[in-house]
Amino acid sequence: MAVENLAFLIPVLPALAFVLTFFLGKKLPTGGAIIPIAAIATSFVISLLITLNLLANPEEVVSQSYSWFAMLNIGILVDPLAAVMLTMVTFVSLLIHIYSTGYMSHDKAPSRYFAETALFTASMLGLILSDNILQLFICWELVGVCSYLLIGFWFQKPSAATAAKKAFLTTRIGDVMFLTGIIVLFSDLYKIFNGTIPDGVFILRFDEIFAHISDIAAINANIFGMEVSHITLITLLFFGGAVGKSGQFPLHVWLPDAMEGPTTVSALIHAATMVTAGVYLVARTFPMFIAAPDSLMVVAYVGAFTALFAGTMGIVMNDLKRVLAYSTISQLGYMMLGLGVGAAVGSEAVGIALFHLINHAFFKALLFLCAGSVIHAVGTHDMRQLGGVAKVMPITAITMIIASLALTGMGIPGTSIGTSGFFSKDAIIESAYLFGETTGSWIPYLLSIAAALLTSIYIFRLIFMTFYGKPRTDYGGHESPASMTIPLSILALFALVFGGLTSKTFNTFVSETFVNNFVNMDISSLATLGGYHLAEHAGEEPILILWLPLIMALAGLVITFLIYGLQIVNMDSIVSRNNPIYKLLYNRYYQNAIFTNFVSVKIIYEGFAFAGRAVDRGFDWIVKWFSDVTLEAGESLRQFQTGAVQNYATAVITGVSLLIILVKVVMEVL
Amino acid sequence: MIPIVLYLALAAIIFSIGLYGIMTQRSGIRILMCVELMLNSANINLVAFSSYHHDLTGQVFALFSIALAACEAAVGFAILMALYRMKDTISLDHINVLRW
Repeated sequence: MAVENLAFLIPVLPALAFVLTFFLGKKLPTGGAIIPIAAIATSFVISLLITLNLLANPEEVVSQSYSWFAMLNIGILVDPLAAVMLTMVTFVSLLIHIYSTGYMSHDKAPSRYFAETALFTASMLGLILSDNILQLFICWELVGVCSYLLIGFWFQKPSAATAAKKAFLTTRIGDVMFLTGIIVLFSDLYKIFNGTIPDGVFILRFDEIFAHISDIAAINANIFGMEVSHITLITLLFFGGAVGKSGQFPLHVWLPDAMEGPTTVSALIHAATMVTAGVYLVARTFPMFIAAPDSLMVVAYVGAFTALFAGTMGIVMNDLKRVLAYSTISQLGYMMLGLGVGAAVGSEAVGIALFHLINHAFFKALLFLCAGSVIHAVGTHDMRQLGGVAKVMPITAITMIIASLALTGMGIPGTSIGTSGFFSKDAIIESAYLFGETTGSWIPYLLSIAAALLTSIYIFRLIFMTFYGKPRTDYGGHESPASMTIPLSILALFALVFGGLTSKTFNTFVSETFVNNFVNMDISSLATLGGYHLAEHAGEEPILILWLPLIMALAGLVITFLIYGLQIVNMDSIVSRNNPIYKLLYNRYYQNAIFTNFVSVKIIYEGFAFAGRAVDRGFDWIVKWFSDVTLEAGESLRQFQTGAVQNYATAVITGVSLLIILVKVVMEVL
Repeated sequence: MIPIVLYLALAAIIFSIGLYGIMTQRSGIRILMCVELMLNSANINLVAFSSYHHDLTGQVFALFSIALAACEAAVGFAILMALYRMKDTISLDHINVLRW
């Protein structure tokens, strides 16, 4: 039996594991962790085999489809894009599950934890496998529910319950936009088919959608007096969904708060899986985006801005996990930027962004798990109380430093020596440069370079404050058990070498998705449809461009070393509530105040309440009018009931006479 | 043979008298009598058509109708007697217990 036929098992096994763990977990040791671990391990093996097979024969895409409600379908599609995501998600999820057996060993409800993570993994895998946008949306929502459950895992804590609600509601804004996009897309396709859809054609399948891009692009909508192509509208709505899930500005507010869940959850949701769903969505529907010039421009700008914006907040956070949360937002910004520059580099953008996504999943999961290891051992995640942890936890310290080097993208330009982040992040920054050269808008490039400096500052600040110097408080601490350090070491290995080993093959492999595997698809002609001309890779970039990201990263290292390592600069004078810039950053640009006091209270509470009251009054008036009319009609009709039999007889006779006359007249006319 | 239209005219006249009576009279007895008039006009029609078509069905119906009219009159008088005992009147103007 060919392994391709087992592809459907990839999400089904973790889903089964969810059910089993949910009902049986309590009776098994460590909350039944063995069930999801075994299930996900099997999924991982299947995904890996399919990926290797695809790598050898890129045309052998796994595609199975079953009809559902006549013009919809459920089905799976494993093309290179899905295959790399599947392998990464199952792999990272597997390591996190193994790590969790150690990390959650002291928890009260480990079986609930493992059941929920298994369901989460299942829905994420389902999302990746979907061959149609509706099924993708269903899994997208499932992922949202699971993140709500997991962020609020310690629901007894009010802050965790609040964070869970915040994550759920904020991403919901994006989800509504996504759903609107699907509805618009569906009605457009329905219109294109003139309402008669041939048998066996499922209009929400990706290949069907992509085959009709030029038709959709021909439909225009008039929005606020502007002629907007429907393809732009739909892609912007999709991107709205991605902004919510992937924590892009301005819907990023949920992600730092989501650190209230167990650290392993942060590693799973906020490094490897859920937050990358937005990037995956844009990558999956990339042919639509490339036909929509304005949308891709929005993607590039939002991505680049988010990369920098989140970085500025990352440098002042004192909470281990929050620094990493801002780092995640920032890195997701990079991925979006990588997709956004597709205007210049075509389908290669998907490869670039996905490469960073995969590498990021490794090193960010590693960072989170290291932070979890520290928190597990020391019991605090306030960096101001830590220091010198490297002495008690050498493995954790070394793996975390490796992850940080990967995050900052240390490596030697022009060679294939470097950490994995070096290959992917520099590729994004370089294509942002190319984007600037082709389109003339340099802002994304400048933002991404500035963000590289900030990345380096916040992560090395974390390293120096946590692992070096003297302990600031008296904590015990011990190295974590093997169930935790082994996954750390494996991830560290990947963070170190994965990029270098695969950088050449990966890009071409993922780009295969859109080059060979979809009918009627030619990226450059689609780009022309959107008004782009893909850049020719003519000439090398200036040597400075290649070195600049590294220079920025090293500058960040030097700056933090001077401040936190040698303590040449006294931070106390800068870190004070009187410094307006620090204050602004520390309060996260007062976003909470803006969102709570202005958006929630002023706009939602008061604005909506006012509108609601007006509508309410209108309805009250209508209801009252109806009741009044009915009452009055009854009152006047009541007069006819005299109780005198003769009146009734008169009425009957009059009525019958009128009927006879009526019938007579009608007969005459006929 | 007397043409049928005369019978029908007679029946129509009697029916109209009955109808007029029902709508104008105040005494319950008189109204009952008017109802009898209307029923009898119908009987005239039935018998006239029966003899015209040489078919006895109409006459049978007329007999039924007379029997029913007798029953109806008996019930009607009984009601009026009861009403008179309660209200000391059989003028329908004063009997409006069906009113709201």
